[in-house]
Formats: sequence, structure tokens, C-alpha cells
Amino acid sequence: MKRGTFFQFSAPSIATMTLLMVFPLAVAIWLSFNFLTFRNINAPSFVGWSNYLEVLRDARFWQAFRFTLLFIVITVPLQMFVGFVVALLLDQVSPKIRGVYVTFALLPFIVVPVVGTLMFKQLFEPSGLMAWFFRSVLEQRFILTEASVKSLIVTHAVWYTTPFALVTFFAGLQTLPQATVEAALIDGANRLQQIRFVTLPHLQSLVVFVALISIMDMYRIFDSVFVLTEQNPVYRAETVMVYNFQVALTVQRIGKANAMAMITVLAILVVLIPFLLRTYREQVGGK
Amino acid sequence: MQPIRNPMAKLAIHVVLIVFSVYSVLPMFWTALQSFKNVRQANSRTPLFIFEPTFSNYADLWLESTPENFATVGFTLVAVSVVLILLALSARFLPVPSSYVYVGVTLGFVIVLNVLPRVIDTAEFYDYFINTLIVTGGTVVISISIGCLAGYALARYRGITGLIILIAALGFRALPRMAFVLPFFWLGRAVGLHDTLFLLTMTLVAVNQPFTIWMLRSFFMDIPKELEESAMVDGADRFMAFRKVIVPIMWPGIISTALFTLLLAYNEFLLARVLTQSNWTLPVAIAQFTGGEDPGHITLASAAAVSATIPIVIVILFFQKQLVKGLAAGAVKG
Repeated sequence: MKRGTFFQFSAPSIATMTLLMVFPLAVAIWLSFNFLTFRNINAPSFVGWSNYLEVLRDARFWQAFRFTLLFIVITVPLQMFVGFVVALLLDQVSPKIRGVYVTFALLPFIVVPVVGTLMFKQLFEPSGLMAWFFRSVLEQRFILTEASVKSLIVTHAVWYTTPFALVTFFAGLQTLPQATVEAALIDGANRLQQIRFVTLPHLQSLVVFVALISIMDMYRIFDSVFVLTEQNPVYRAETVMVYNFQVALTVQRIGKANAMAMITVLAILVVLIPFLLRTYREQVGGK
Repeated sequence: MQPIRNPMAKLAIHVVLIVFSVYSVLPMFWTALQSFKNVRQANSRTPLFIFEPTFSNYADLWLESTPENFATVGFTLVAVSVVLILLALSARFLPVPSSYVYVGVTLGFVIVLNVLPRVIDTAEFYDYFINTLIVTGGTVVISISIGCLAGYALARYRGITGLIILIAALGFRALPRMAFVLPFFWLGRAVGLHDTLFLLTMTLVAVNQPFTIWMLRSFFMDIPKELEESAMVDGADRFMAFRKVIVPIMWPGIISTALFTLLLAYNEFLLARVLTQSNWTLPVAIAQFTGGEDPGHITLASAAAVSATIPIVIVILFFQKQLVKGLAAGAVKG
């Protein structure tokens, strides 16, 4: 295809992305250097780096940042482990029954995140099934404290993100060459050794892929935390995105919120740049 | 791994998978149950599994007042929907082109949804539902139309520019939404587009575009380019060849991509929350149902959650194959 034709075909898409993503990002950078609240919404005043300094000195920002990192470190491996184990098990059952299991497993992924969170929360309301379980079996009341809200956020995140890892790993398992498995069998490898030396190396690039995607998704988690904490600061369970939202719409400091958004963008580049380089190499190699 | 033959081990595998399925479904199951209880039953300290179901929570959610002609209206609504759905399902066997039938059926539903509030006294939740339909439909149509053109061009063009655009788009997709959404909020207020469905739809189109072009491109790359080349030898220009030869065989890929776009648009909370004030979509409306001291909030929230989930479950039941295929395709190639 010629260059001219290429641009004719892709112009609407590129124009939309430029106008509605690149341009707003540029505006966001500019706004981050301005003092802007709802009162002076039409007259931002330039203040240089002071928004950035204010964010970096904001203890609540660092608290949210630490919680987000902790949340990623716990959630991502857990979700990948559960997804991997269930994918291995699904690989063992006959395709007919497998379809039923996959349908159930996909539900948390399909349901609207806000709704899924609400449904999850219902279980732990005083009238909910899990709250009753805590009362009658564990003989303690389930109450919302910092620790329990944080555990709820993690549990829900694992519940909600496992299907993605599961389906991805399962698709990868289907492409595992049978000859390799048989070779390992002849060499007398037991099941754990097969997983360790045959299955995992085969899935290696998928594991990296799922890990990178999950880290980036968990980094910007918003919906579930927003619903589970009801924006109540006593639980100290704000993620960076939730705190950023509050600074923008509750505290109404738009300039400071933009500065915070830019800082979070810079922080995620640590993961994003390797991801983009990896994709670039794959695409060049694939041609 | 080699297949497991030991029957006890097989049984154990099924037990684990059943436990996992229960874990996946439990929140939905419980919420659905709660939505059919009255307030007293729903707040009972020992969970009730057997009770006389009530539909009053759904009525309270969707209707301002229960009209006298409710049975007639309800019956007509169901009857018209069934006729329209049957018409869509049998489109292939009718003497007119299928696309006309689909357009007709869609128009039929649009008319029904427009007429309904005039016949019965619908509540605000109905308006949020309509907003969601408009935003989701608009996003899917615009996003897929422009995405198909770009995805095709990106699959066929060999220059480095195409690759740079793809990588940049991917980068933008991975950035936290907060980075673009505040300027929209600010600019939208300045030009009077704040709280309009138009701005929300276009923002969703832009945000979903990187994903759309990546996925469509990967589907287009599976189609041999000899196909459109032979059409072009026969005198068609590039666009004609694309429209008449390539798009018709791309439908499975387009449906797969449209499905993910639909989910992304239907599910979006943050953008909709920031960019609307009163023109809410369902996720924004439902987020309001959390907490609250009123004991009635549990039943109403449950009914709202189930109501928002049913349309998606219907869509997925029809297209589960494409969904799993799309997930797997993205994964194996990614």
C-alpha cells in the first residue's frame, strides 16, 4: 500500500486520537502548571512548578501511592497463580464440560466493574451471605476496618482479574506441542517437572504479557476502590487514581490534580516503556 | 501436560473447578436472590434461600408509579419485542436483504423505547438506561467504522510510520485515564459540551481506538492480500475492493472487536462520572446505590445491579465464542 492511501484510510482514526488524546494530554500538561479551581475555571493563572511540589509534599498522595504499589505486588502474582492453576485443570477436562466452566469463570470479567463490585460488597453487608458466614462459622462479626476494607479490595481485584489470566494461559496451553510433552515423559519427568521445565518455558512470553498488562491495569484501578471505600478516607485505602479524582472533583483543585496525573504517568513509564519496546521488537521481527 | 487418567484425581479436578465456578458466580447469585426479596427478608440475619419472590424492587427502580394498565402495557411490550427478535433471527430466510431487516428491527426497538415513557410513568433509571444505550451504540458504530479503515491500512502498509502510530496508540491506551479526562472536563465546560452524551461518546471512541485498531489489524493481517489485488486488477479501486471484498469476509473479526468495544463502553465509569452531571449512564447511577443508612438500599441496589447485568449477559450468551476467540487471539499474538 502506498503512503498516501495509508493516510487516506487511517485519517479519521488518527484525527480522533490526536484531537481527543494527544491534544488533551498537552492541555493537561499546560494546566498542571496553572492554579485552577472551580472558582477561576475560565482564568487559570500560571504558577510554575508549585503544583508539582505540592503533590510531592502531600502525605496523602504518598500514602495512596504506597497502597497502590502494595496492592499491585499482592494482586498480580495471586491472580496469575490462580489463573494458571485453573487453566492447567481446565486443560484436563473434556471440551464439553469445559465450556460450562469457562462460562462461569468469565462472568466476573464480563459484568460491569461497578456492578460487580456492588454485588461483591453485598456479600459482606450485615445481611450478606459472607457476613453471616463470618458470624456463624468463624464466630466473629465482619466489620469494615482499614484492614478488612483493604483485604476486600484485594479479594475483589483477584476475583475480577483472574478470568483474563485464565483465558490467556489456557489459550497458550492449547498451542503446547505434544511432542515436547512426550519427550519429557520418556525422560521420566514427573508432573511438577513437566510444569516447571516444559509448560512454564512455553508460556514464558504470555506470563510476561499478562504480568505487564495486569500491572498497568491494577495501577489505574478506580471503579472498585471507589465503590468499596465509598471515598471514605478513614480506611486509608485510596489508590492513586481515587485520590487524584478527589483532588479534582471533591477538593476542586484541577491544576494540582493534573500535576498529580502527570506524576503518575511518569511513574508508570517504568513498566510501559519496556512493554512498548517489547511490542515494537515483536512487530519488526514478525514482518 | 500429559492427560490425567486416575479417576480419583479426575474427580478432584472437577471438585476444584466446581468450587472455582461457585466462587466466580456467588456474588451474582446472592445479589439476584436479594433483588427478589422484600426489605425485611433481604435484611434478615440468617440468609433466606426460600421465600415468595416479589418484583416490587424492579417496579420501584424502573417506574415512578405503577399504572393501572400495567398488564396491558407489559404484555404489548413483550409481544412486540418477541416479534422483533424473531424477525431478526429469521432475517436470512426473508425475501429482502438481511441488512434492511436488521436496520428495520433496530428502528423498531428505538421507536418502542421512545414510546414507552409516554405510555407508562418511567423513573430516572430508565433515562440512564437509554443514555447508556445511546453512548454504547454510538461508540461501537463510530469506533468500528473508523477503526476498520485504519486497521486495514495498518495491516497493509509496510512503512515505519504505521508501526510508530501503533506503538504510540498502545502507549496512550496504557496511560491512566486521569491524564486526559480533566482537560475534557475543563474544555467541555468552556465550550458547553460538558454533560452531553456527544462528548462522552467521542471520548470513549478515542480511548477505545488504540485497542480497536490493534485488534482489527491483527484480523486483517490474516486475510491474504491477493484477494483485494485480484479485485483491483478487475478495475475496482482500493476502497471499493476493501468494501466489497474484504469487509464481507471480515465479519467474524469485526463482531469480535465490536463486542469488546461494547463491553468497554457499557462498563466505563470514570469517564462517565467526570464528564456528566445529570446525563448519567448506568455505572454512574449504580455507584450511587452503595452505602446509605436506609435499609431499602439493599433491595433497590440489587435490582439495579441485576438490571444492568441482564443486557450484557444476553449479548454474551449470543457471542461467547467470539469473545473467547478474541481474548485468545489477542493473547497468543500479544
